[in-house]
Amino acid sequence: MFTKLNVFNLASAMATHAGTRQALVSQNIANADTPGYHAKDIKPFSEVFDDNTQPGDMRASRTNHLNGSSGQGMNWTVSTTEAGSDPNNNSVSIESEILKGVEVKRQHDKSIAIYKSSMNILRTSLGRN
Amino acid sequence: MSEFSNALSVSSSGLKAQAARLRHVSENISNADTPGYRRKTVPFEATRDMNSDVETVKVGRVHLDRTDLAQVYDPSHPLADQSGHYEGSNVDLMIEIADAREAQRSYEANLKMFDQTRQMSASLMELLRR
Repeated sequence: MFTKLNVFNLASAMATHAGTRQALVSQNIANADTPGYHAKDIKPFSEVFDDNTQPGDMRASRTNHLNGSSGQGMNWTVSTTEAGSDPNNNSVSIESEILKGVEVKRQHDKSIAIYKSSMNILRTSLGRN
Repeated sequence: MSEFSNALSVSSSGLKAQAARLRHVSENISNADTPGYRRKTVPFEATRDMNSDVETVKVGRVHLDRTDLAQVYDPSHPLADQSGHYEGSNVDLMIEIADAREAQRSYEANLKMFDQTRQMSASLMELLRR
């Protein structure tokens, strides 16, 4: 556990994912009344993480390897929904964006809780509680 | 951290745009009985900043509604013509109230996202304490 500290990498990747998604949700809500705007999103973290750790994928075994599973090489491409359902060709639904926002907030809280408790374990092991 | 500042800037642009829309709606409502007044419409545009990768929302040029003005029959009115009609405004109060409601709803949604982003970045900063 103390050689690679993967928990911290994972928690920070999760928090970064939540931050990126939060920015997109805010952007969708701000443009909820813009004609011709299509809602944008990235894949949920679990999918991104699963995609990244498929068997046969390249794994980072050294720090200078690219596309490792430490959160740097994950596929965070922004996808856009196609046709708009509104008469002004806008595809944002405020309700679903708010729900997505709640999901993002919980994910971010979770990742920070993981980070904090791992930090506490390290502190305890150093005897500085 | 830059994702959070992006989120804050895009939310505040949304707040500004909805406030501008609400202002024009109240302008229309207060001029509903002004003779010859044409209602104003506020177009929203998505713009991309040079230094950030989010699309903020911007209020474009205000347009005047080109629909015909209402003909009001009142022979005693100073502006009345030979047939006793004068031109009122083309403001439909029902449309304006509905527009105001939608603006309020969007404003609240933007405010909620702003607040949530602020909370998230505060809890991130909390990690640095102790």
